[in-house]
Amino acid sequence: MPHATTLIVLLVVFSAALVGVLVARPGVTETRGGKILAFLVLCFLPVLCGAMGVSREMDRSKTTAFCLSCHTMEAWGKSLHIDDPNHIPAAHFQNHRVPPDEACYTCHTDYAMFGTLKVKLDGLRHVYIYYFGTPPAPENIKLYQPFNNRECLHCHLGARSFEEGATHTADPATLPAIKSYTLSCMSSGCHEVVHDIAHLKDAKVWKGSN
Amino acid sequence: MASANPLEKRLRTSGTLLIVGLLIEAVCLLWAKPITFVVFVAVGGLLIFAGVAFFLFSLVSTPRVHE
Repeated sequence: MPHATTLIVLLVVFSAALVGVLVARPGVTETRGGKILAFLVLCFLPVLCGAMGVSREMDRSKTTAFCLSCHTMEAWGKSLHIDDPNHIPAAHFQNHRVPPDEACYTCHTDYAMFGTLKVKLDGLRHVYIYYFGTPPAPENIKLYQPFNNRECLHCHLGARSFEEGATHTADPATLPAIKSYTLSCMSSGCHEVVHDIAHLKDAKVWKGSN
Repeated sequence: MASANPLEKRLRTSGTLLIVGLLIEAVCLLWAKPITFVVFVAVGGLLIFAGVAFFLFSLVSTPRVHE
């Protein structure tokens, strides 16, 4: 929603202009109306602008474009366009199993209490390393913790294709093991092909997406 | 522009902090990049917080000027 951003920017600039008036003519605060105006302009409006801005920034930080805006993430963005249905991130992205605009966030957020906050704190660490440290090569980037089945089950749990899938039901122990997180969805022989950055050069790329 | 009223001086300081903070936030909102997110929250947010806090502190701490 670029219009929302424009409106917030206009509100912020308008607030700054009003603050400027008070800075230039602080004498207006001597009257009762001026005091009320000063409170609105120096307290209420800045807090409102800050809150709206933070909300907007938080929304934007969930977008795929935001995540891929760092050079380090280019290869990971490219991996979403691999033309291979066995390539899990690409298949999810291309078939809209995750919202394409929020593809990274949808899978890599933590669907637990304070998950969004935890992801943002990790993101701050990424920004610090990007600007003040030495970012690892894309193929050397690893998750802090192994990918949790919880993030997959957030969408797939209860879905017919998951609950009645031939591979999932072939062994009666499989589904309970997946649901109890003792068998990873990305186990060898299951959905093991994820971003596969090391082999991107040889991969066929799907060009049907904008 | 010079003012003998201590509250007015403090209002100017508070206002200046707020103007800088708000302008930083406005500029950061124009780009959706991780660094702008950090600057928005850390610099803009801090300046706005400082401006508002200084304004509120001024209201309760500045002695009233009787004419």
